[in-house]
Amino acid sequence: MITRLLNSKSIAVQLLALLAAGGATATATAQEKYPSRPIEFVVPWGPGGGADQLARKIAPGLEKELKVSLPVINVAGATGQTGLTKMLTSPADGYSISVLIADTLALQIDPATKWKITDIVPAAVMIQQPSAFFVAENSPLKTWKDVEAEAKKRPLKVGVTGFGSADDLHVLYFNGKGLQLTSVPFPKPSERYTAILGGHADLLYEQLGDVKSFLDGKQMRPIVIFAETRFPAFGNVPVSHELGHKIAISQFRAIVMKSGSDAARVKAVSDALARVAATDDYKAWLKDQYADEKSFVGADGAVAFMKQELDIMRQYAPKK
Amino acid sequence: MDGTLQQLAVGFGHVFEPVNLMFLVIGIVLGLLVAVLPGLTLVMGVVLALPFTYNMHVIPAIILLTAMYVSGTYAGAWTSILFRVPGEPIDVPLLWDGYPMARKGDAAQALGWTLVSALAGGLVAATVMVLLAKPVAKIALTFSTPEYFAILFFGLASVVSLGGASLANSLISLFAGLLIATVGVDDTYGAHRFTFGVPLLSDGIDYLVVMVGAYGLGEVFLRLEQGFKSAPLEAVKEIKTRLPSLSEIWSRKMTFVRGSLAGIIIGLVPGAGATVASFLSYGIESQYGKRRKEMGTGIAEGIIAPQTAATASVGGAIIPLVTMGIPGSGATAIILGAFLLHGLQPGPQVFATSSNIIYAMFASVFVGIIIMCVIGYFATKYMVKVLEFPEVIVSAYVVMCCILGAFAARNNLTDVWLLVIFGVIGYLFERFRFPVTPLVLGVILGPLAESAFMTTMISFGNDWTIFFSRPISGTLMAVAIFTLIYPVIRHMRHQRKTLKSSK
Repeated sequence: MITRLLNSKSIAVQLLALLAAGGATATATAQEKYPSRPIEFVVPWGPGGGADQLARKIAPGLEKELKVSLPVINVAGATGQTGLTKMLTSPADGYSISVLIADTLALQIDPATKWKITDIVPAAVMIQQPSAFFVAENSPLKTWKDVEAEAKKRPLKVGVTGFGSADDLHVLYFNGKGLQLTSVPFPKPSERYTAILGGHADLLYEQLGDVKSFLDGKQMRPIVIFAETRFPAFGNVPVSHELGHKIAISQFRAIVMKSGSDAARVKAVSDALARVAATDDYKAWLKDQYADEKSFVGADGAVAFMKQELDIMRQYAPKK
Repeated sequence: MDGTLQQLAVGFGHVFEPVNLMFLVIGIVLGLLVAVLPGLTLVMGVVLALPFTYNMHVIPAIILLTAMYVSGTYAGAWTSILFRVPGEPIDVPLLWDGYPMARKGDAAQALGWTLVSALAGGLVAATVMVLLAKPVAKIALTFSTPEYFAILFFGLASVVSLGGASLANSLISLFAGLLIATVGVDDTYGAHRFTFGVPLLSDGIDYLVVMVGAYGLGEVFLRLEQGFKSAPLEAVKEIKTRLPSLSEIWSRKMTFVRGSLAGIIIGLVPGAGATVASFLSYGIESQYGKRRKEMGTGIAEGIIAPQTAATASVGGAIIPLVTMGIPGSGATAIILGAFLLHGLQPGPQVFATSSNIIYAMFASVFVGIIIMCVIGYFATKYMVKVLEFPEVIVSAYVVMCCILGAFAARNNLTDVWLLVIFGVIGYLFERFRFPVTPLVLGVILGPLAESAFMTTMISFGNDWTIFFSRPISGTLMAVAIFTLIYPVIRHMRHQRKTLKSSK
């Protein structure tokens, strides 16, 4: 009895280990059918955030398209670099893909960043969302004017994802305009939202769609949206351009692979993503996320898109 | 109030539907399995289960994940107590008293205490969750990074001063652990630390290889040196599996109360989950418990405190999730993901719009805890018999588990080598009377403390006094510092006395 118990347990252990080892370092040949085993899907941010929601939204569709499972793994930290590093330390065989968001790409502005844009190859841009500064519903800061006035008296804390991110660039931009804003990094979304709701930070930089539940629940509200024209769902909230601040870094989320991956494999993933993005379900989700309905950019256009975004970011970044 | 109970009754109705009950039991079993395996953490387990819930209805999906979460805080205690291999970081404090207790031949009692503790902590927290969710949720918002840091600092400090080992040795061990934890890409600025250009090291050293290596493998090496006993612990055969008697439980009621409270509060705050709850509760017990001097020698209090807190943290973590949409822990963050994927947004409005789902979740916590304990009770009976096996075989099994666990964490053989290295380090520590515990503690809590510290410094303009000027963090810091200094004062007093008497 005991032996049997022990045996069945150890078999279970081995099975689980085998399952987990699915993404291990088997040497893949170009002739091998791709994908033939599970693809590790790295989310370089904590569970519950925008990058995580995207991955969890598209993973089932991708699984159907590619006919292998895509276990999503959250590896948060260092503005997404910890997770990206995880993907980059895997072999370039297409069995490890990652979400890359604008925040992480913005780190390229700093030449000391360990990874280069040439280390990655984008498969597709999946979503582009406008961002905003938010305040808690009961905040004494009612309008953008209040923020400007207050930020001249004392430093205001802004909850951001991490240093060097697009979030941080907005803060630096306003620093250049004489406003005292301080970026406070909270990589975990839950801590970032607690900071604003609990009054531990004055402002929150976030994408509209990511805080939908807090907006619907009347817990926080946008005070300025970073865009050129007003956003239909928030007609009474001013946008940055009309306030004279020509800053609007699009917050995009892309799916990337390690460069050196076989071009056919990148195309296979890109095509699968295109089919997922074309579904009504995905389109409805984009709308629900307050995202641009023409968000999708395939592998062909994604490199140019990312380079262009990076140029805009460079333009706003502080000169060193 | 009546409304609450009525809705809870509806929730129970949902849970007892055959399909939902089936998923509940599946969730419990998966949670137990995940908790027992050192390579799979609870959060990873819930993450792996999430994709299976995509095509399910929302209620069974939430029930499945909640059930996994509940039982995931419990079963890792088994391996901690029997093999000195913590299945989860949560269970590290459980082996400090649980394993010595088992070595004394009281494994059945140790497992019994875990069971009662999980039951008590879980049910107390679940009751608070249902009745006081809204008022209690506000507590979560009063905690910010200075408080997170103070909690972690208290956890680090209180355990260092524990047990018979010298304070100096404990501190050396702790700082070694903290240093190991700094390896990799730093969380705040993305700087590479001690990576030496090795890609795997920039990923950091997983606390898992340290934890499993230093405890599990270290213990096997130690027994290898001492020579395995062919039939260890003769006493085990005579002992019947038994749960503690009511009077035994009653005499330790304050330990249960402290553990549950610590668990609920730590569960509430987003910066910490079951692991921190478990460590902190053990720390509190070793400061304020009736038998604080005996902690670490294999007493029931050392099992009750961490286990009640760990399971109580589940109820605590669910409160801010359903009332504000803020997950109180890693596992609830995944459950939030499940809510969102089913088009449901937790927050103040959710009680109005989808109260049946929320109350089904609440009910599943109650039912889950009870089913978990029933399964645990019967499993315990057989598990204790493992100790009748020759020690050599049990040790071989432990080694296998450790290696599989280390490999499964990142699918990398280097981790297995790291495991062996930490096994040797753990063995040498034991051999030269350096406590292993502070080392492991440093590796697990160090990164959390560091990021809380850094964020606080940035947030408050590098003003370190902030840790002392805020009421909650100030109190915790003061207690922690006293804990650290007290042994030194005692030592100096003692020396002065002996000096006087020698004169």
